[in-house]
Amino acid sequence: MENLPEAFKLLVVGMLTVFCILLIVIYFGKLLIALVNKYAPEEVAKPAKAALKATPSAAVDQQTMSIIQAAVNQLTGGKGKVSKVEKV
Amino acid sequence: MEEILTRLYNMTALSDLIADPSYLVMYCIAFVLLYLGIVKHYEPLLLIPIAFGVLIANFPGGDMGVLQATETGTVIKNGKEYNIWDMSLPAIAHDLGLMNFLYYMLIKTGFLPPVIFMGVGALTDFGPMLRNLRLAIFGAAAQCGIFLVLICSVMMGFTLKEAASLGIIGGADGPTAIFTTIKLAPHLLGPIAIAAYSYMALVPVIIPMVVKIFCTKKELMINMKEQDKLYPNKTEFKNMRTLKIIFPIAVTTIVAIFVPTAVSLIGMLMFGNLLKEIGSDTSRLFDTVSNSIMNTATVFLGLCVGATMTSQAFLNWTTIGIVIGGFLAFALSITAGIFMVKFVNLFSKKKINPLIGATGLSAVPMASRVCNDIATKYDPKNHVLNYCMSSNISGVIGSAVAAGVLISFLQFA
Repeated sequence: MENLPEAFKLLVVGMLTVFCILLIVIYFGKLLIALVNKYAPEEVAKPAKAALKATPSAAVDQQTMSIIQAAVNQLTGGKGKVSKVEKV
Repeated sequence: MEEILTRLYNMTALSDLIADPSYLVMYCIAFVLLYLGIVKHYEPLLLIPIAFGVLIANFPGGDMGVLQATETGTVIKNGKEYNIWDMSLPAIAHDLGLMNFLYYMLIKTGFLPPVIFMGVGALTDFGPMLRNLRLAIFGAAAQCGIFLVLICSVMMGFTLKEAASLGIIGGADGPTAIFTTIKLAPHLLGPIAIAAYSYMALVPVIIPMVVKIFCTKKELMINMKEQDKLYPNKTEFKNMRTLKIIFPIAVTTIVAIFVPTAVSLIGMLMFGNLLKEIGSDTSRLFDTVSNSIMNTATVFLGLCVGATMTSQAFLNWTTIGIVIGGFLAFALSITAGIFMVKFVNLFSKKKINPLIGATGLSAVPMASRVCNDIATKYDPKNHVLNYCMSSNISGVIGSAVAAGVLISFLQFA
């Protein structure tokens, strides 16, 4: 029972710390979102359009092409390019 | 002939079982846990190794039960005293059995909890949390149970360190509970690990029970997608991939600066997540961390935790107090999350489903799955999984921070 004041102190300090850290994480997350949007917006549309021109038969629509391009981007870390898509 | 029969009888476990029927209680517990894991599918990956560990630990003469060391490190086997801290690992394996070797090497050293956290990180997607950042605050509210049970435990006569280890069960995070207990009250590791993991596996029972008590049907039918349409989120994401790569690095740095004692957990969690988010360049490491390492760690952790549940260690008042206190911590954490949502709803136009507060305790992703099931039961179109994942994931960070605070305040007290 003599530890009770210490336990209450831990309740206050602990909860305040958890709230503060998560608030920092939340606001830092918002800052990160803003910074990434400003300085590193994704460029998916351009290669997709360029790649689309390379498929004269227009065998796939633009949306499918974008999806394929996005998948290739993710797998190759942005280094790969889709030059031709053919139906087999 | 009679001598041979007597020796055969003594060779079997029957004589010990008749002399001490408490083993039968442990078999019943093991069978119930196995039933829940196999038939009811309550977290089978966790519950089945634990349950089987309980079973094999309780065969007299099998040497598969973990011997709990006292505060000074003394363990007693067959009337002979050993000091566990003076023994080498081969000596532990030889004198105390294989399970004690695994337990003292993998768990008591604090090796497995961060490894499991690394695997959890590799399997976690921070996308839902980043998309609903404001919901992440409920992960903090749900840590309330940890500290309230700490107070209750002190009133029940536990020391501060023991009470803190008991309270951390309310974080609903097995690795965090083990990690904190190793640092603060290693002699209680067995029952605390068992309570933490059993309640984590029983999340599908505990959350609906608490939600039923504190939430009305109207509250549970709050449709988050409709609320999003009424009050749209203005944040747009132009490059989620880059964001997801920077986020684990940033969170580790922030937590490391403010609560360094939580770094071994948060750091490993974020490392696992970073391997996942980088993509093809680290895909081999991600594959190893999320499959081979995580599965191996889960098997050994489950078996060892189960093996700590011997009849001698489990059937006593301290353990029963821990089991009850652990349940209270769990229930209080869920309740605190729910009431935080209710409080926010009083002032906010955009209403939040209280289930999102209930998932503020860790137990990722089961708590979210369970809450999604509850929501769809009331309204089949009301899928709250993504929203729940936000508070659920922040709950992991919250419980690790709470553990860090407890360790830094009490470790050298």
